[in-house]
Amino acid sequence: MKNKLRIIALWLTPILVIIGSLQLGATENLSIQELTQYIINYFSSSDLLHDVPIETILWQVRLPRILLTFLVGAALATSGGVLQAIFRNPIVDPFTLGISSGAAFGAALAMLIPVLSLNFTAFFFGVCAVAMTYAVSYAGQKASLIGMVLSGIIVSGVFTALLTVLQYLSDPYKLQAIVQWTMGNLHTASWAKLHTAFFPIVIGLGVIIMLRWKLDLLSLGDDEAKAVGVNPKWLKLILISVATMITASSVAAVGVISLFGLIVPHISRMLFGPSNHINVWANLSIGGTFLLVIDNFSRAVMPFEIPVGVFTMIIGAPVFIYLMRKNIMNWNA
Amino acid sequence: MRKGVIIDKVSFNHGKLQVLDEIYAQFPSGKLSVILGRNGSGKSTLFKIIAGLESGYIGNVHIEGLNRKEIKLGKNQEVRIGFMNQFHQTTFPYKVIDIVLTGRSAFSNFSPSKKDYEIVEETLKSFDLWELKDQSYTSLSGGERQLVLLCRVLVQKPDVLLLDEPTNHLDLNYQVKVMDCIRDLANKGTMVICVMHDPNLAMMYGDSFYLMENAKLSEITNLDTTELKQRLEQTYKLALGQLFHQGKAVFMPLINAKDD
Repeated sequence: MKNKLRIIALWLTPILVIIGSLQLGATENLSIQELTQYIINYFSSSDLLHDVPIETILWQVRLPRILLTFLVGAALATSGGVLQAIFRNPIVDPFTLGISSGAAFGAALAMLIPVLSLNFTAFFFGVCAVAMTYAVSYAGQKASLIGMVLSGIIVSGVFTALLTVLQYLSDPYKLQAIVQWTMGNLHTASWAKLHTAFFPIVIGLGVIIMLRWKLDLLSLGDDEAKAVGVNPKWLKLILISVATMITASSVAAVGVISLFGLIVPHISRMLFGPSNHINVWANLSIGGTFLLVIDNFSRAVMPFEIPVGVFTMIIGAPVFIYLMRKNIMNWNA
Repeated sequence: MRKGVIIDKVSFNHGKLQVLDEIYAQFPSGKLSVILGRNGSGKSTLFKIIAGLESGYIGNVHIEGLNRKEIKLGKNQEVRIGFMNQFHQTTFPYKVIDIVLTGRSAFSNFSPSKKDYEIVEETLKSFDLWELKDQSYTSLSGGERQLVLLCRVLVQKPDVLLLDEPTNHLDLNYQVKVMDCIRDLANKGTMVICVMHDPNLAMMYGDSFYLMENAKLSEITNLDTTELKQRLEQTYKLALGQLFHQGKAVFMPLINAKDD
């Protein structure tokens, strides 16, 4: 019974928060009646009923931003959950594996060389960075966890250095764009961005949802999978690739949102227990909702917009430290 | 046709150290075979080779007539090999039922089916663990954990079961409980190969016995008591005394009479 209620809440909360987010905004806060009226009017044929400015704001500004934010939040949280299970460590997420600095470098490169598509370049270098992290840590025999985290730091360092070179070379206007991008820029959301990010993220999430139960098995370790007749190699490869893909797409669309994929899986585990069979859904729902709430806060509550990446970092850092202290034993495994 | 597990001239080197030296052994189907030997004698290496975790060996391993290296894991595995490593810890505090359910992973591509749940329930009930199903695995005692892990390996209905020191870290009560379960499985036709430390416990439960010494494995099943005592004294480098208990010989170290 208690479980049923929690599952209903899991589905209902995002819908309510999305509606609530449509009401909020810098221009005008709408009541629920007004919002419903605008939506009904939008689909009606009579020209008299249309209130063009508000409709434009709702349709061209708020809705794409809300949907993109939800999608990105869901993607980051889900991929964080997947990687934590596969690497058997609650302190891993795509960003600790170097994806953010790789993607940031790619984005900066695209801003300086106009031929390159920003989305694609950021995506490409994000994936490159994660691949390098894996390659470096596998160089020995088996990839140990500490090796993985350390090589993540090294790879991040290299890309950050390269990014600094680019920043040094760029003119002030472009420099500002690069810096903004590294702080997460949900305010540049548009239907076009949503289109680019939509398919890789939705397909990726679909694969993860289908394979979610296997994450329980993978999180017990390779030998334990073989012990019950499952070869973990392909499953792991697919899931790691998909998790990287959805993170890279998110980063390409909205810039760097740090530590978000690390925190949400912990919230999900606290609420729904550790099993990934339900947790993948929880990460998806809570991740989307939570990022939307943070974005609403930075959008509507503050007199000026604070970049969302700064927010998540400020919330995330203490959580990260707490987890690191709590899980220090697992680092030897 | 059931042929058991055949180890044919298997050698294994760890760096320059020869761990296994042209081992030959035949473990019969449907029986409980026990491998004894001292720490670091290569028992665990042999276990890993049979389990498929170590493939850098020379020679051949056949399981029920199939070459070990050609057995592909998955749903349609021709011979299902379940194994249980030594004590293992998990990062996440999964519920007992979720842990055991992962044992059915090979059978469902996506979510577990109703049948998977039924088999898990049946197995947990047969071990009297059903009331623990919603408890977190990490909160269990060592003995309970070992039984849960055994259930996890068993829900796949293995043809061959490999166990590495299943009674390690367990109190006397759980040692007997776990061994009773293993004996029961062997009686029902599962082939079990068990690496063990305690020769007495092994002799009480096993069908055939093997001794690992100097990178060689030798069968000691049909030796008479005196010979057996000699072999054990040699292997464990201890003077042993011998008692009779429930019609079987039991060997105990003679304290203060170590002959070095």
